[in-house]
Amino acid sequence: MKPNQVFSVPSRDLTRPQFPTLAEIGEKFRLGAWTLSGLGLLMLGIGLATSPLHAWANVLMTAFNLTCVGLGGLFLLAIQSTTGARWSDPILKAHRAMPALLPIAGLMMLALWFGADTLYPWARPEAHTDHLLKGRLVWLNKPFFFGRILLFFALWILLGRRMVQRGKGAAVFILVFGVSFVLANFDWIMSLEPAWNSTIFAIYGFSGMFLQGIAIVTISAIVLRRVGLLPEISKAQNHDLGKLLFAFSCFWAYIWLSQFLLVWYANIPEETAPIRLMLNSKWTPFFYLNLVLNFGLPFVMLLQRKAKTNERVLMVACFTVLAGHWLDLYLMVLPPVLKGAAPGFGFSEAGGILLQFGVGHMACWPVFMKDVNPDQELPQAG
Amino acid sequence: MRSTDAITLTRFRASFADPHLLLEAVKRLKQEGYPIIDTYSPFPVHGMDEAIGLKPSRLPRACLAFGLLGLATALGVQIWTSAYDYPLIVGGKPLVSLPAFIPVSFELTVLFAGLGVVASLFVASGMRPKFKVPDLHPGVNDDRFVVAGEIQAGASFTVVQSLMASLGALETELLVEDKSQTDHSLLDREAKPLAFLLAAIPAVLVLAALPLLNRNYLKRNLAWDGGMMAPVAYQSFDPHPSLPGGQVLQTPPAGTVSRKGLVPLPYGPGKVEAERAGLELKNPFQPSQENFSRGKLVYDRSCAACHGLDGDNNSSVIVARGLLAPAILVAPVVRDMPDGRLFHVATFGGPQKMKGLGDLISRDDRWKVVLYIRELQRAAAPKPLPAPPPSTGATS
Repeated sequence: MKPNQVFSVPSRDLTRPQFPTLAEIGEKFRLGAWTLSGLGLLMLGIGLATSPLHAWANVLMTAFNLTCVGLGGLFLLAIQSTTGARWSDPILKAHRAMPALLPIAGLMMLALWFGADTLYPWARPEAHTDHLLKGRLVWLNKPFFFGRILLFFALWILLGRRMVQRGKGAAVFILVFGVSFVLANFDWIMSLEPAWNSTIFAIYGFSGMFLQGIAIVTISAIVLRRVGLLPEISKAQNHDLGKLLFAFSCFWAYIWLSQFLLVWYANIPEETAPIRLMLNSKWTPFFYLNLVLNFGLPFVMLLQRKAKTNERVLMVACFTVLAGHWLDLYLMVLPPVLKGAAPGFGFSEAGGILLQFGVGHMACWPVFMKDVNPDQELPQAG
Repeated sequence: MRSTDAITLTRFRASFADPHLLLEAVKRLKQEGYPIIDTYSPFPVHGMDEAIGLKPSRLPRACLAFGLLGLATALGVQIWTSAYDYPLIVGGKPLVSLPAFIPVSFELTVLFAGLGVVASLFVASGMRPKFKVPDLHPGVNDDRFVVAGEIQAGASFTVVQSLMASLGALETELLVEDKSQTDHSLLDREAKPLAFLLAAIPAVLVLAALPLLNRNYLKRNLAWDGGMMAPVAYQSFDPHPSLPGGQVLQTPPAGTVSRKGLVPLPYGPGKVEAERAGLELKNPFQPSQENFSRGKLVYDRSCAACHGLDGDNNSSVIVARGLLAPAILVAPVVRDMPDGRLFHVATFGGPQKMKGLGDLISRDDRWKVVLYIRELQRAAAPKPLPAPPPSTGATS
């Protein structure tokens, strides 16, 4: 990841004349973000020309993941605010920056208008004669679908702005978020395979989103502390973030099992089809890798108290979780789109990942920078 | 306190009204070199562990150990019961199906870890009935934050008192310590028998469980409870106080039609009934290719083992083994029996060893077997025989 290179911990080398100012770092950062986004878009374009299925699926994944980051920040902020939490005060800067991604994610979701019939079976003309889809077209049709996208993003952005800028409306946001995020999960991801239902699907999506949100907040807190922007972060905050990460990694696994176990046990044909594919095909290693990345590795890594306060271990665990969430989304989106074909990693996937990092930095950085004197020379970090 | 004197006057305690003041006081005392014995507060004070200089607790290790024990117990019990002691396929799943075991394993892991860590805490801190917390100020359950420390040799109490007062202490007092009340050990003389008693419980339980775990399927074993083996449901013809007619079994609703094939056969077993059947019954099936092939199928399955494939005992298993000598179906004696009589024998059994097959072969199939036996007899004696001698009794 780029910021690590930019913000590599300065060694305590006294012969080094000067540390770069924040403005210089910000310039480098902006350049990196634009480069990453440009490269990502270019690769997505190549993907669109070679295999539109992969390309559109990755546009959906990227947009959904950016939405998750934005909402993760807002939701964390909302629960800190409603519970009157004090421990998180030093790191709220990261929470406040993350919602800046929502407008870009919303635009990307709306761009799916042009790829909807590639991705969603219900958007194709033959859906009107399909026995399984006919009845669902009342809810799943293009105007209503994209209307809902507009509505959800409008609500999230407006309520989020009110919360970030004026510190109000956290409870309202949680209520609205609860309903809209459930519907968004059902709409955007579960309707890729309209005949398959899981009532726990939205909670599953939420657990992944929340876990990723905590990972990103943790990464930001550590990076910013090392750079010197958040000097007030102490070991206690790291410990708390580590505990949250550990707990919600377990929560994710709990929800994952709750969904898997019922399908596995009940053995109802229309429910088992996607899981059968996962258990008996080239997807199988990725299916298990998902568990390892999201639950197994973070669990083992963060079990000890020492590990939860160790920044290096925390960083590794956070990036494991980020990779795990990407894979989790990949396993939700790609199998129904590819209709059972083997998994693949091509231009589209690489482009999607680059775009996520690029857009993430581009949108979040100015918010970080806003209340900092740009000419300030960075203190030596430890 | 390892002092040999029964009473020492080197300990003091200071109480505060605010946790922050307490924290400051502890830091200051540390700085000045006074050993801190402990602090007491109505709720945990952030940063106090570090201020006193406590080492990280070792309880998490106990927690991990108990958690792993719980996990092993859950998996062990589930795998042993469902795959070894009483292997039973449920829902087409493998005997050892881990996904199904995870909820129980999770719960037991949490239960063992939780109970174990509390028990470890009690043992490690010497908590037991009659345990008396030393240096306890009456206000620490309410609004007082108390630190207890030691006065080093050479320092005077008044110095400590004024130091504490300058840091905002409400009161500072010297403690009179009674050595006999500060023994933290659980296994002291008083508690030893109790501890041994408690430790004996698992051993007794294991011993009691051994007969249940070691099962010999050749003899009657000890059972938990025979209750489920004895039906508690009403029997059909039992009297019943509140049902119409005063009986459990009710008259079927008007217009109920019996299911096909369940019309009772108005015959009983025995030779007299067999002869009556021979006189009264007629084979309802006509000789046809279809009926023959069905009859042959049933005959080959159910009859041929004893009577032979051709009805002549040549390929009979029990004859080859020298066990019994069944009736030769193609012999004239059998050939001269009427159809109804053969049907009766197939249903209720013969006069000698043959058991009735009425509850194994359907009524129609028995009639078709009779047809097939007639065919076998025709094949065995191509030329019509002279007039049959009178029947001398049934053989089967």
